[in-house]
Amino acid sequence: MPQMVELIDVSRDYGDVDVVHALRHFHLRIEQGERVAIMGPSGSGKSTLLNLVCGLDEPTTGVIKIEGIELSRLDDDARTRLRREKIGMVFQTFNLLSTLNALENVALPLRLNGLGPREAERRGRILLERVGLGSRMAHLPDALSGGERQRTAIARALIFQPPLLLADEPTGNLDSATGDDILHLLDDLHREFETTILLVTHNELAAAYCDRIVRMRDGSVLREERLLKTGAEIEQ
Amino acid sequence: MIRALSLVTRRQWDRHRLRTGLTMLGIALGVSVIFAVRTANITLLGSLRQTIEKLAGTATLQVIGGESGFPEEVLDLVRSTIGVQIAEPVIEVVAHTAFSDEASLMVIGVDTTGDQELREYQFDESRSEIGDPLVYVAQPDSILISRPFADKHGLKEEDRLPLFTSHGRKEFTIRGIFKPVGIGEVFGGQVAVMDVYSAQFVFDRGRNFDRIDLMTDPEVPIETVERRLRDQLPAGLEVTRPASRGEGIENTVAAMRQGLIITSFIALLVGLFIIFNAFSISVNQRWKEIGVLRALGVEAPNIQRMFLGEAAVIGMLGSLIGVAGGFYIAVGATEVVSGIASAVYGYASTPEPPIFRLDYALEAFAAGTLTSLVAAWLPARAAARLNPALALHNIETRQPEAVLGRPRMLAGLGLILSGLAFIRFSTPRVGLMLQFGYVVLIVLGLIIVLPMLAQWIARALRPVMAWAFGPEGLLAIDTMIKAPRRTSATVGALMIGLMFVFSTGAYIQSYQNLVMRWMDRTINSDLFVTTSEQARSRTYHFSEALSQRIAALPGVKRVENVRFTFVPFAGDTAAVITIEMDGWFDRQHHPVEEGDDRLARELLPKGEGFVIARNFSTRWGTRVGDRLRLESPTGPLERPVIGIIEDYSSEKGSVFMDRELFKTYWRDSAIDFIDINLLPGVDRAAFKSELQRMLAGEQRAFIYTNDEYKRWVMSLIDQFFTLNYMQMVVAIFVAAIGIVNTLIISVSERRREIGVIRAIGGLRGQVRKMVLLEAVAIAIVGLVVGALAGALNTYFLIRTAAVILAGFTIPFHFPATLIIISMPIVVVIALAAAWLPARHAVDLHVAEAIGYE
Repeated sequence: MPQMVELIDVSRDYGDVDVVHALRHFHLRIEQGERVAIMGPSGSGKSTLLNLVCGLDEPTTGVIKIEGIELSRLDDDARTRLRREKIGMVFQTFNLLSTLNALENVALPLRLNGLGPREAERRGRILLERVGLGSRMAHLPDALSGGERQRTAIARALIFQPPLLLADEPTGNLDSATGDDILHLLDDLHREFETTILLVTHNELAAAYCDRIVRMRDGSVLREERLLKTGAEIEQ
Repeated sequence: MIRALSLVTRRQWDRHRLRTGLTMLGIALGVSVIFAVRTANITLLGSLRQTIEKLAGTATLQVIGGESGFPEEVLDLVRSTIGVQIAEPVIEVVAHTAFSDEASLMVIGVDTTGDQELREYQFDESRSEIGDPLVYVAQPDSILISRPFADKHGLKEEDRLPLFTSHGRKEFTIRGIFKPVGIGEVFGGQVAVMDVYSAQFVFDRGRNFDRIDLMTDPEVPIETVERRLRDQLPAGLEVTRPASRGEGIENTVAAMRQGLIITSFIALLVGLFIIFNAFSISVNQRWKEIGVLRALGVEAPNIQRMFLGEAAVIGMLGSLIGVAGGFYIAVGATEVVSGIASAVYGYASTPEPPIFRLDYALEAFAAGTLTSLVAAWLPARAAARLNPALALHNIETRQPEAVLGRPRMLAGLGLILSGLAFIRFSTPRVGLMLQFGYVVLIVLGLIIVLPMLAQWIARALRPVMAWAFGPEGLLAIDTMIKAPRRTSATVGALMIGLMFVFSTGAYIQSYQNLVMRWMDRTINSDLFVTTSEQARSRTYHFSEALSQRIAALPGVKRVENVRFTFVPFAGDTAAVITIEMDGWFDRQHHPVEEGDDRLARELLPKGEGFVIARNFSTRWGTRVGDRLRLESPTGPLERPVIGIIEDYSSEKGSVFMDRELFKTYWRDSAIDFIDINLLPGVDRAAFKSELQRMLAGEQRAFIYTNDEYKRWVMSLIDQFFTLNYMQMVVAIFVAAIGIVNTLIISVSERRREIGVIRAIGGLRGQVRKMVLLEAVAIAIVGLVVGALAGALNTYFLIRTAAVILAGFTIPFHFPATLIIISMPIVVVIALAAAWLPARHAVDLHVAEAIGYE
């Protein structure tokens, strides 16, 4: 299978004097269509890993490739374009723009890519309907529930149908029932769009929806577990 | 508790240094303008008073008339008054040397027999002291000069000093050089003394004196002598103490002072908006922090005190910086106001460094601190009323901003309409301060409706921005629409600044148009000869001999001699314009707007009536048919008002009379302007060249053709409005600081939002464009509301201020051209102001901004 994400001997240090080694000689390969959960205690390097994969941060040493493209060879604008078109991002705190309604939030990446408002919103509408928010499109984030906000954020992340979806504790701010809904939605979308998912979570249940769990500690891989059946399959 | 909270505050300041600095700068600018204009004003008045007092020497009382002076006989009357010990006549003239630089020199004519008892003269190089009056009697060309003047021009005793006099160039012999003490200190030491009777002749004062300085008997109370003198002297003469003459000057320059006060007010008002904005945003940003503090047990009043304490400290620090900066600004401002006092009002002052007045500094400091507290009051209250449970939630759970309600809109509209109704229906008699309250009502109303107004305009702009600038334009305008409080605070600062610029511009433009139209109708002589390149010279005039010489030149049809002077009137002054009325009427086509034109043509040349300017009638309520009484040095002059004419020669209001009538009553034959009418076919430019050749090196005179004269008058008007132009620059500058501050705050507040945009694929260039477009959108909304506010304020200026200050009725002129010209300028200023915030936005660390760590 072709590699979607490759991290080869990646290290990330912070600080000049009191150096913090956030990642140490990290290796990871994620195949296209694979779902990988990253787990570990706070400070284990999960978020650093996510920042590096989406190109918001640069490694101190090592190589990161997305679909075979080496990120360090790209300038900031090229990395941003790659992020826009190939990587969808879902955050724990949703990170919707409070001044835009659900539809405008979802259509925003398309508009930033130069698409006209009509076409961008048409596509946004389709996705919002797909995530079950067909009747909430005109609502501002303030007027949406936590689950609805996260669905909106997921719709936004998928607007380009990116091959890679990065999710940072997507259920962290939700109650368990809503969290389950979101995990089901991600599972459905994975099947529908064949999206590769890299999920950072503390939640064993959420991790169970993945094909593989990478457990981290102090910036290194502690161990890897390959799941035979995902949470959704077990439920079925 | 307070100490603990101050720790929180200090950390906030440390974290947001630029924002704190800019907020402080907002108040510092307002305070510096207040302090600078007051300092400049008091320095000018101090300098004028000092000039008066130094010239007065040890005189306890002075007898003064209008600018024409008064007849010599008054001196005998004063000397014979019981209680008067010494009385000495004085003539003061600001003359010009015939050196290449035509340097100005204050020439003081004194009666040398007794003047040393009144004034101090210390000679450092003299063989013929002032104590020897015979020198003067025998040699009327003698002059004494001060050491600074002598040094500047390399002069020594017995050298010849050429001066331009009313009779042309004359050479004087320097008989002594006195030290720069006492009288030698005035006018920057550029001072000379000569015999008063010689001065009468060479400066064409006839048999008049400008002033009598007197010393009273120490045994008799000054008040008693003052009363006796008032009883004996004609009503046109004033008996005053030297120190109180400054008050008269203060009245004369009142319009200028009021302009300065308005500038201070505008600057501080814009500062208020900046602080309000900064604190509103600060409360928004510290939502969670406030929630945490409340959760930790800090009571609501202490939260309010924390923010007010911050405002007080920022206000005090800003005010301190403002006072210090204001003192330096005052150096430049003093030069400007002195220049205007000299050019427009004809006052000669002694250059002085700014006077530091502790009371002014404390007042400015208090005004700055208070403004800061007032501005922070609402945000501090909002912080105190915050629901801690909500505040502890994340940013998206904030309550929508409640600034757009209908009651608020109605209240604002009510205030605006009340202000307009007051302006429309109240009389000018209520006074300027009360009238100023009307514009305050309008501004308050505008501030209240501003959030909604700004939102409407922004919504109207939305499709345009989306069409023109794509998603970045849309995001920029949406940011404005969704944050009405933040937006309206900046737009408010811009609105106040632009309101001031547009209304001042409209007022100046209206006034200039009016004067131009008036001049085109009434100024129809071919050439004009004036005594000064400034509006006028109070002391230097032409003699009739010069006028006769010009009249005798080939090609001249007729000359008219204009004396433009001021006389005491009803506790103030009025302008008197005297001319040969028959010739003047010949050249005018129906000049009388109200009254009988035919009767005026018949009676005025005979000296049997006056015509008055419209603004004189408005100021003093004088109507056609009223008998107008003017107090001349020889007794009252009372004549009927035959007509009212349009005239903008003086904001005090002018009375026109025949020259012969004036000469009879004022004993003054001096001339300020010579109007030359040429025979048909004579070339104006060629005649001007001929005249210039004739007068070169002989007579200090400025010759203008008709067109040049009109341009010269317009340039004088520009000079009069110099302060207003400066005020406009200050207003724009302070508003620009407001934009920088808001955008920095906006970028800082939207850190997370910008981070998200970058995270989901927004390029650096797109973020930069977004911030810049937000500035452009703010500028456009500010321009629209500023134009509206400017139109309302222009209405105020022409309906009230112009009528009260000058009695002028100026037609309303919407400053469309100025607004159109301002558009690109304001947009460029906004873009420049947004440059730094845009850089901050672009340099944002995305991962940190979206709060991964």
